[in-house]
Amino acid sequence: MISEETLRLRRVNWRIFFRRYGIVISFLLLCLVLSLLSDRFLTWTNILNVLRQSSINGIIAVGMTMVILTAGIDLSVGAILALTCVVTADLLQKGLPVPLAMLTGLALGAALGMFSGLLVSRLHIPPFIATLGLMTVSRGLALTYTQGRPITALPASFDFLGAGSIGPIPMPIIVAGLIFLIGYFILARTNLGFYIYALGDNPMAARLSGISVNKVILFVYALSGFLSALAGMVLTGRLDSAQPTAGYGYEFDAIAAVVVGGTSLAGGEGGLFGTLVGALLIGVLNNGLNLLNVSALWEGVVKGAVIALALLLYRAVK
Amino acid sequence: MKKFLILALSLVLIGGLLASCAPSQPSPSPTTTSPSPTPTAKKITLGLVLSTLNNPFFVTLRDGAQAEANKLGVTLIVMDSQNDSAKEASNIEDLISRKVDAILVNPTDADAVVPSIKKANDAKIPVFTIDRGANGGVIVSHIASDNVAGGKMAGEYLAKALNGKGKVVELEGIAGTSAARDRGQGFNEVMKNYPDIQIVARQTADFDRAKGLSVFENILTAQPEINGVFAHNDEMVLGAIQAAEAAGRTGIIFVGFDAIDDAIKAVKDGKLAATVQQQPALMGQLGVQTAVDYLNGKTVEKYIPVPLKLITKENAP
Amino acid sequence: MAEEKKITTDEILLEMKGISKSFPGVQALKNVDFVLRRGEIHGLVGENGAGKTTLMRILTGVLPKDSGTIILKGKPVHIENPRHAQLLGISVIHQELSVLPNLTVGQNIMLGREPRSFLPFLVDWKKLYRASLEHLQRLNVDIDPRTPISELSVAQRQMVEIARALSFKADIIVMDEPTSALTEKEIESLFSLMRSLREQGISIIFISHKLEEIFSIVDRVTVLRDGALVGSMPISEVKTEEVVKMMVGRELGEMFPKDSVPQKEVVLSVRNLKRGKELRGVSFDLRRGEILGLAGLVGSGRTFVARAIFGADPLEEGEILIEGKKVHIGSPQEAISLGIGFLPEDRKAQGLFLGLPLSHNIGITGLKRLSLFGVVIFRKLKELALNFVNKLRIRTPNISQLVRNLSGGTQQKVILARWLSLKPRILILDEPTRGIDVGAKAEIHAIMSELAKEGVAILMISSELPEVLGVSDRILVMHEGRIVGEFTREEATQDRIMLCATGGANNG
Repeated sequence: MISEETLRLRRVNWRIFFRRYGIVISFLLLCLVLSLLSDRFLTWTNILNVLRQSSINGIIAVGMTMVILTAGIDLSVGAILALTCVVTADLLQKGLPVPLAMLTGLALGAALGMFSGLLVSRLHIPPFIATLGLMTVSRGLALTYTQGRPITALPASFDFLGAGSIGPIPMPIIVAGLIFLIGYFILARTNLGFYIYALGDNPMAARLSGISVNKVILFVYALSGFLSALAGMVLTGRLDSAQPTAGYGYEFDAIAAVVVGGTSLAGGEGGLFGTLVGALLIGVLNNGLNLLNVSALWEGVVKGAVIALALLLYRAVK
Repeated sequence: MKKFLILALSLVLIGGLLASCAPSQPSPSPTTTSPSPTPTAKKITLGLVLSTLNNPFFVTLRDGAQAEANKLGVTLIVMDSQNDSAKEASNIEDLISRKVDAILVNPTDADAVVPSIKKANDAKIPVFTIDRGANGGVIVSHIASDNVAGGKMAGEYLAKALNGKGKVVELEGIAGTSAARDRGQGFNEVMKNYPDIQIVARQTADFDRAKGLSVFENILTAQPEINGVFAHNDEMVLGAIQAAEAAGRTGIIFVGFDAIDDAIKAVKDGKLAATVQQQPALMGQLGVQTAVDYLNGKTVEKYIPVPLKLITKENAP
Repeated sequence: MAEEKKITTDEILLEMKGISKSFPGVQALKNVDFVLRRGEIHGLVGENGAGKTTLMRILTGVLPKDSGTIILKGKPVHIENPRHAQLLGISVIHQELSVLPNLTVGQNIMLGREPRSFLPFLVDWKKLYRASLEHLQRLNVDIDPRTPISELSVAQRQMVEIARALSFKADIIVMDEPTSALTEKEIESLFSLMRSLREQGISIIFISHKLEEIFSIVDRVTVLRDGALVGSMPISEVKTEEVVKMMVGRELGEMFPKDSVPQKEVVLSVRNLKRGKELRGVSFDLRRGEILGLAGLVGSGRTFVARAIFGADPLEEGEILIEGKKVHIGSPQEAISLGIGFLPEDRKAQGLFLGLPLSHNIGITGLKRLSLFGVVIFRKLKELALNFVNKLRIRTPNISQLVRNLSGGTQQKVILARWLSLKPRILILDEPTRGIDVGAKAEIHAIMSELAKEGVAILMISSELPEVLGVSDRILVMHEGRIVGEFTREEATQDRIMLCATGGANNG
């Protein structure tokens, strides 16, 4: 018989500790090295820089984390970002009120995501293929819609999302922070979160346990599309310009943040805390390369090596 | 039911694909100029194959070529490849069978165009490339903007604006591209002549506005004093301006490259000091001129650089 | 003729002596002897898990033996791998056919030994097809060697496999349940082929669950039970009933406590369930407080009955009534909302979320009752989990333990807890005690008994006859997608059930 008392007793399991928090140690080490190499690194403005620059990838990575937790993948995030932000910008220029244009853009993002969710859940098309197709079509539509030209000069109230700040904190950081909190709450506290983990862990058991597997899949892809659109609005506000070529390659940054953060591509394992650290690690790395003025020709090499090292380090400790 | 769903979704997909592929304007059919008012003894016909007419740059290039053809009294056949190398190949084949005297081609792709050029070589029709080069075949001459000269032009302007001293940042394009290499080379050659100008950061932002913004944010943190910025294209410099504004840093002289619409607007607003403009009309004009010169027996250079133009507040269109 | 046959069947071709093999926690084979004579068809029978397949896997080099010797044609051999077995003249026709569907018949027969043309790396196709045609003709089968395998029927594919075996000059062919996917007619032609192979001096080891088949084709039969040899004798010397007794004959202990429960009103009725070859018209009633045992061999369609009732597979025909009302069950969710619970046969593949904590595994299905506006109330989840941990004696250090780290019996209790938390009217248990230790088994049986007392109607599928006999109030026996027998607790014996399950008798 087990009493509640004994259930609370839990010895620290170092193996699990490092598996879960090892990446934090790698991240802190990287920060330490950078602060030794550049006295500018640990300044308030630079910290804000890193957070602001990580925010767009972070917002997308929240949706990507949920998709990957169900053992899926979403390659269309960058293209959805581009399409939704040019459509929103165009509506704004046509004189639509800011809230209405934003809602349209977000709804379009969610609808596009839902479309790939439909392909994956109902027609059993592999997520890689379904979202690759959506990526190509969305990117093409964004280019056609704008004839390849950026749309500039947007209302100041719209730009506030990307360029404004509340007190000393820039809006992108606030938005990303909120999204992480909401995402964390969904995954850790709600039925939906339970279902997402269960589906990724064992889809067959999930179905036989009475989980509406299709609805869960639909939700995660719709959310990923929605968050891509939101990230697009933050980016558009920051640049005061919507570009059909925006978001190129963002899917890889988001996937990298999720995977570096310890979420398994096979699904069912991981979470948003890891993704947050993963996104920050990538952000800090980009920032550090600029601060140290590393040559463009070496950038890729250094980036890859640091990410590999960060992963190796905590696997070795584990 | 499921079959119906599959069908419906595929239709939507195909529809979307077609919508995104279909040209938004009807592609112009080959246009032929009216015979010139001052007929020459030997009637020359030139073929001009453009990668796309969907881009104002090439429309202007065509207009410049057409004007020059009219002036010299030669016939110009213009064809649009719609950014499709297959269309390009059939365009060039058409011109070969129509026995034009020379072909000017602006390739969609430096490699894909090679077989077509070889076909023209076999038919003894001289080939000239415009703006973009080809990686094979016999080319009489290549007519293109002089990116090195453009880089120099930007460098000279920036140096003068800084009175020969200060701290400068260079935002580079995608590493390994010829545009990034040439523009950087020209700029740095000039900078060597000004010992009091120090290049404090040289970072790539991949020709991208969002990257230009975040990279320059980081550079702003690293460098407490920056007096001038040269970016390999306007997208990056516009991002950098955004970063400087957000950080409240003033007094930086920005110079861009390409003179895109947003950049010209920024020049007029005084945010961007200058941008280097290519001259597509001149490019078209020089192309036709070079071809006619060659056909008339004159020797022509292997590379005809097309001069660039610096746009500042004074001469902004 | 009889004289001649006598001579050949006396020559001992293969002798396996004292073969033992254990897997973690299971002694799969205990000191088994097996003798095969030249030119005989030798039946190998036993219940599921008796050790037939393990013995054959050792013979064909798939598994290493722990101890014992194999003597082939008078010489001791050490069989290293399947390839080696093939070179020694031992070939297998698998349950799942191993031919490559996209290659042609000829390519499959000559796979790995394609004749080379005079140019390097190139195959001499003419030679290949001529050689494979010869092998096929030896079997009197009329298949063009250039046909792609994918265009052949299952029976024809089997012929190709046999031709391939012969091309290795096999003198021992192992056939593991070769008839399970064949029609009557195809079985007949397979049997005549087997007889002609026997005349060519080839020995066949024939594994089948269907005793009629064993009695109609084999010369000798060897019976295994619980990994041990029970007996081996010429088929002419035994009767079906005796073989059945040898297969199942074990003492029933007091392992299965079952209080007789008075029969009450019908909760679930299924009528004429049909789905392909798996279900060919299944009807029965399940009463409140009853444990209904569903016996039958693997592949007889038992699991499909369960899955059909639970809405996991669509039905082609038939109806399901709950408390007299006709219901449509299109998905597991609908089944659950009607008060049906289902414990699947493979708990790791179909039941558990191995990487999630115990509490989540228990709470997942009833999550809506543990939450408010979609937000999980952790206090309720914890209470629920603790409640079942105590009630079912789930052995775990804490409720956040990952299910992966629990033992088999404990895992099974976790899934039981999941369903019990919903207070179901009907509980379907597919192999509830497979692969778990004796103690946990008895506990699960006690839980079932308790539930039945509380009025839950239980349908239990089990391959273990003693379990079926010990736990059930009533027993249905399935064979080839039909219910072929029904016994009360008092009437049922292992022999009678086994006879039904192997298609030997019809008590329906």
